[in-house]
Amino acid sequence: MANAALRNVKVLPNSANMEEARHRVFQFFRTACRSLPSVMEIYNLYDVVSVSELRSSVSSQIRKNIHVTDPKVIDMLLFKGMEELKNVVDHSKQRHHIIGQYVVGQQVQDSATKDQGTSTFLKNFYNTNYF
Amino acid sequence: MASVSATSLSFQPSLKLSTRTSQGCYKTSSLEVVSVGWNRRTFPSLRSSRFCICAVKAQPETVQKVCNIVRKQLALPAESELTPDTKFSALGADSLDTVEIVMGLEEEFGITVEEDGSQNISTVQEAADLIEKLVQDKSGAS
Repeated sequence: MANAALRNVKVLPNSANMEEARHRVFQFFRTACRSLPSVMEIYNLYDVVSVSELRSSVSSQIRKNIHVTDPKVIDMLLFKGMEELKNVVDHSKQRHHIIGQYVVGQQVQDSATKDQGTSTFLKNFYNTNYF
Repeated sequence: MASVSATSLSFQPSLKLSTRTSQGCYKTSSLEVVSVGWNRRTFPSLRSSRFCICAVKAQPETVQKVCNIVRKQLALPAESELTPDTKFSALGADSLDTVEIVMGLEEEFGITVEEDGSQNISTVQEAADLIEKLVQDKSGAS
C-alpha cells in the first residue's frame, strides 16, 4: 500500500513561500508516519523498536533542520527525505541499516549535523573520533 | 456391441444436465435470500448512523485516552495539569509536535485524520471530538 502510494510521487515545483514549504514538510512527515507499519513488517523490527519510537526518530531528524528558513533549501531537504523514504519502503536497505540509522543512531553524533552552536574544536573532535 | 455403447453414452449427458439445472435452482434461491437479508439490514444501520451523528460529543474515556497520549508524546510529568481545554501550544508543543500527536492518535484509534481535520486541532477537546466522530463514521460505514 505504502509502496504503491510512494510510486506515484513526483518531483514538485519549488515552494513559492515559507508557508507552502512548511505545509509540505508536514505532508512529508504524515506520509512517513503512515509508512511506518509497512516498514516494521518489511524489516521485522517488532522486537527492537515500536512504531511510536520510529515516529519520534523521524520527527527528531526533521527537527535537526528546524533553523532553515530558505524555501529552496527546504525543498532540497524534502526531496532527499522523500528519496530516503522511498529507498526504505522499496526494501533497498537492509535491516541493520534501519537499526543503525533510526533505532540506535540517536546515540551517535551525526556527522551531517548542521548545528550552528557547536564550536569548531568540538566539531573536529567529534569527526576525528569516528574517522 | 456398438448399439449397446451408444445407448450407455446417451444416458450420461441427460443425468449431468439434470444435476446442473438443480444446482442452478439452489444458487438462485440462496442469492434471493441473501438479497432479502441485505435489504432488511440497511434500514437499521441508517437509523443507528443517525443516532451516532447526533452524539458527536466525545466520551470521557476517549478524552482520557487522548490526555494519556498527549502526556506521553510531550513527555509531561504526571502531576502536570492537563484539562480538555488545554492548548497544545500552552504545553510547549510546536506545529510538528501537534502533527506527531495526531499521528499517534491515528495509530491508537485505527483511524485516518485528513489534512483539513488535523489543521483545526489545537486543544485536547477538539482532538477527542474529531476522533469520536471519525470512529463512529468508521463503525457506521462497516
